[in-house]
Amino acid sequence: MEINPAFDKYMDHYFDYLGFWDSPSKCGLKLVKRNDGKTLAIATEIYRQNPGTPITEVIAPLATQILKTSKETPGNFIFIEHTPNLGSKLSFYGETFDRVEFEWDGESFSNPVWTRLTNEQVDGMMEGL
Amino acid sequence: MKQRMHDIEGLILEKMKFKLIYPRWEKLEGQTIFNLPPHGPVVMAAAVPDHVEIDFTDENVEDLIIDDNVDFVGISMMLTTQVKRGWEIADQYRKLGKKVIFGGISTMLHAEETMMHADSIFLGEVEGRLDDVFADFGKNELKKIYNFLSKPPDMSLIGPANRNILKKDLYYHKGFRMVDLFHASRGCIYDCYPCAVRYLGGRGFRPRPIDKVVEELSQLDNNRLFIVDNSLALDTNWEKELFKAMIPLKKKWVSHTIEDKDEVLDLAAQAGAWYVYQAVFDTSDYIRNRIKQYHDYGIAVEGTILLGLDNQTEDDIKRLVDFLLEINLDLAEFTVLAPFPHTKAYSDLLKQNRIFDKDWNHYNAGKVVYQPKHMSPERLTELYHYAWDTFYKDEPQTMKMFNLINKVMSKELSDGTYRPRRRDLANLSFGKQITDIV
Repeated sequence: MEINPAFDKYMDHYFDYLGFWDSPSKCGLKLVKRNDGKTLAIATEIYRQNPGTPITEVIAPLATQILKTSKETPGNFIFIEHTPNLGSKLSFYGETFDRVEFEWDGESFSNPVWTRLTNEQVDGMMEGL
Repeated sequence: MKQRMHDIEGLILEKMKFKLIYPRWEKLEGQTIFNLPPHGPVVMAAAVPDHVEIDFTDENVEDLIIDDNVDFVGISMMLTTQVKRGWEIADQYRKLGKKVIFGGISTMLHAEETMMHADSIFLGEVEGRLDDVFADFGKNELKKIYNFLSKPPDMSLIGPANRNILKKDLYYHKGFRMVDLFHASRGCIYDCYPCAVRYLGGRGFRPRPIDKVVEELSQLDNNRLFIVDNSLALDTNWEKELFKAMIPLKKKWVSHTIEDKDEVLDLAAQAGAWYVYQAVFDTSDYIRNRIKQYHDYGIAVEGTILLGLDNQTEDDIKRLVDFLLEINLDLAEFTVLAPFPHTKAYSDLLKQNRIFDKDWNHYNAGKVVYQPKHMSPERLTELYHYAWDTFYKDEPQTMKMFNLINKVMSKELSDGTYRPRRRDLANLSFGKQITDIV
């Protein structure tokens, strides 16, 4: 499976996770260790290359799994969901970024809340701004 | 109730009575009154072990009698608007002490909720899997979930569907037989905004071997079919081989999109393409030419028009309806966006907290259950009715449908496959007496 070059800026590698009913699923992932010590995680939906559940539908368990993989603490963890532009004729099927904030129960994330971000905001967050 | 039979290996098995039910749902306002024989139950029926005797009820055409004269109950659900009725039926059977298993598309879309009403749910495709399920039932070891969502079967295992379970006379309207549903492939490579196939059938295109398709088509006693594949535009070579193999069968069929290559459309027309469902999402020359191209090959077009997308304003919707009249669509079916679970539409609207109605009976693609981007839900509802009324103002839907029937009849008359309507059923519509025959 090759990385779509258009994804490169926000995605360094693939990340395997379990989707609905334990279906093997895959997303793009970029982990940025920022100057302020926090870890920014960008999870990218890779559509046709994802054999399982879309990231939005399992966003809280996915963020939990990425948090544990990154060995970061919840308070130092910033999570962004990225859906790339599919080049669809439906214009609203374009690229989006959402910061996703969760509740933490000591073991896992739950109750996601999405807030739309601009590309510039994301680029700034990657720099720790 | 039970009778003994010997299987081919000489083992003694109990003949099991399996009640298979297809729950009713409320028709969308404006839709035709037609009830098509369902596809999921007949595909499932082909995969059950030989010692199982199936008693099938399609609640859309007959009444369901719930009693304890069954061993095991299966509920097959395709639409989201079937799930609440399906759960109600299951609850009643379980009160009688009967075990209930659910399967089908909507079971997969609503799996967690359905589990609350089920002894077992089956997720995925059935071929090669039901022997174990029925054996588990026989041992009283039914599993809560049979999950094959990520494990599609070998496509060569998919044999002819078992349409013998259908009470075929119930699928006639005034003596005219409805099309039979048929599939030549599963899965889809696309991520279309309102569609859940990526979750249900996987993100790959899985065509059936052509010889298996021809075997099933040859056995079908109905000359008119609806090929329910998600798209016939996913693999050019397979499509061409499929259509070539279908030509001698002289079937007449309806399908979703066919690829826009001339050589493919030419073969499709020769293979009996009657009309296609084509999504019309804008007023572009691409769409205009696409419709013309179908018509050039003698293939009619029913436009499927989704209203309420985020890129549609009120003016866009009105312009779209005008455009549909300009391009001479043969039929049009208007729906409003219904954010079914496991679709991109659902994910997006959920993220934006725009879904305000979670009553699954309202997810019929005629009711607005979310906040549209450019108008109120009430205004979108008005525009939905405006679209139906305007498109069919000068020529009603029944007349346009009659024209389509005439087209297929003339094709059948010319190739000798025409069968007149059944006079003994002329006074019935889906098994019920007609009082006002036109």
